[in-house]
Amino acid sequence: MEGFLPLQWAVFWWLVALPCLAVGVYQLNRVLSADREALPLLGVTGGFIFILSSLKLPSVTGSSSHPTGTGLSAIAFGPWITAVIGAIVLLFQALFLAHGGLSTLGANIVSMGVAGPLVGWGAYRVLRETRVSMFFTVFLACALTDLFTYIVTSLQLALAFPAEVGGFPSSFIVFLGIFAITQVPLAILEAVILVLVFRYIVQLRPGILIRLKIFPEEKILAVAGEG
Amino acid sequence: MFEELLEDIAQSNGLREVNPYLKLAAALGAILLCLLSTSWVAPLAIALLLSLGVLLLARVEPRTYAKLFIAPLSFALVSVLVILLVTGGSGPLWAWNPLPWLSLSLTRESVGEAALVLARMIGGMSALIFLAVTTPMTDLFLVMRQCRLPETVLDLAMMIYRAIFLILDQLVQTYQAQRMRLGYSSFGESVRSLSTLCGSVFIGSWFAGEDLVRAMEARCSAGKFAMLGRIQPVEARPLLAVTAFLAVSAAIVALTGDVTAMQGVP
Repeated sequence: MEGFLPLQWAVFWWLVALPCLAVGVYQLNRVLSADREALPLLGVTGGFIFILSSLKLPSVTGSSSHPTGTGLSAIAFGPWITAVIGAIVLLFQALFLAHGGLSTLGANIVSMGVAGPLVGWGAYRVLRETRVSMFFTVFLACALTDLFTYIVTSLQLALAFPAEVGGFPSSFIVFLGIFAITQVPLAILEAVILVLVFRYIVQLRPGILIRLKIFPEEKILAVAGEG
Repeated sequence: MFEELLEDIAQSNGLREVNPYLKLAAALGAILLCLLSTSWVAPLAIALLLSLGVLLLARVEPRTYAKLFIAPLSFALVSVLVILLVTGGSGPLWAWNPLPWLSLSLTRESVGEAALVLARMIGGMSALIFLAVTTPMTDLFLVMRQCRLPETVLDLAMMIYRAIFLILDQLVQTYQAQRMRLGYSSFGESVRSLSTLCGSVFIGSWFAGEDLVRAMEARCSAGKFAMLGRIQPVEARPLLAVTAFLAVSAAIVALTGDVTAMQGVP
C-alpha cells in the first residue's frame, strides 16, 4: 500500500530491487533476440499474473490476500525475468486498480517478483531431473512461490515496524500469523489451478516447453502423448 | 471488479490534455512529501487538495472515487491495528501480555505512530489515484520511452498491457457461459471450472498474442512497437497549479512537523 513503508525502507527495497531488474533485463534481451516467439508467451504470462494477483479475496482477517501467479513464470523464464514481468504488472496494478503503490513498488518487486519466484524456481531446479512427477514439481514450485512471497512481505512489514517487546521477531510472527491464515489454503488452490494450466500447455504446445528446456524432453513427450 | 479499470476513466478525464510530466510531478511529489511528513496533518491536507483536484478538475464521479479507497483502507486498518498494538512507548494506556515473547500495548507513542501511518496511506493513495485517473497508460508509455527505458522492457510492457484486455474480455465471456451452465454450483465444481477457465483463456490469449507478433513480422517489424501520439506541451496554468500545490504541501509538511495525535491528552 502506498505510504505504508517509511521512506528509508521504501528506498532500501528499491535499492535491492534494481540490481535484480538489471539482471532480468539482460536475460530478457538475450531470450528475445534468440527467439522472438517468446514475446507472446511472456506477455500472456504477465497478463495472467495481473489478473490472478488482482483477485483480492475477502479474507478472515481482512488483510489483503491474493494469488500471485508468478510460479509459472518462474519455472518458464527463471526468477530474474519474472522480476521484470512482476515489476511491470505491479506498476499496472497501481495505475489500473490503485492496488499497491509507487513508493512501495520496490518492496513489492522484491517480495512478489524476486524472493517468491527464486524459492519456487529453486524447488523446480532441484526436482526437475529427479523422478518426481512433472505436475507435482509445478505444484510445489507454485505453492512455494506464493507462500514465500507472503513470508517476505511479513518480513518487510516487521522490519519497518518492530515490536516493543521482542522487537523484530515478535512483530514478524504477528504479521505472519495474519497473512498465513488466508494464504496457506490460497497458495494450495493457486498451485492446483496453475498445474492445470500447465497441463493444458503440455497437451497443446509441448514444442515450446521443449525449446525453453523447461523439463527433459522425454518427460514432456510422455505426458503430451497421453493427452 | 474488472468492470471499471481506472484506465477507462483516465482516457476521458478533465485533465487528459495536461502534460503528463506535470501530473507525474504532482503525484510523485505528493507521495514523497507524505513520506517525509512527521505529522498526520500534512498527508491528510495533501489528500484533501488532491481529492479536490480529482473531483473538480478531472471531474471524476464522487461515488466512483470514494469506492477506490475502500479496498486499500480495509487492508490499511488491519495493518495499522498491528502497529498500534506492537509499537511500544512510555506509560501504556492499556497492556496485555498473552505470551512471553508478545506484548500488546496501547501507548501515546503507538497511537501517534498508527495515526501517522494511516494518514500517510490516505495521502499516498490519493496521490496514486490522482495519477491513475488523470494519466492514461498510453501517455506514460511515451514518457517511458523518452526516459530511455530499455526497448525490450517497453515491448514487454505493451504486450502485457494488450494481454490484460484480451484476457479480461475472454475471461468475462467464458465465466458467464460457465455460470449459466451451473459451473460454480459447488466448491469442487468451482475449482474445476476455474482451472478450465484459466487454461482455455491462457491458451486463447497466447494464440492471439502470437498472431499479433506474426502480423507485425509480416510487416517487417524489427521488434519495436511504433507509438503514435505526442506529449502535450507544458502550459502556464497547469504548471502554476502544480507548483502552487507542491509549495503549499511542502509548507504544511514543514509547519506541522511536531504535531502528533493525542497531543492534548495527558
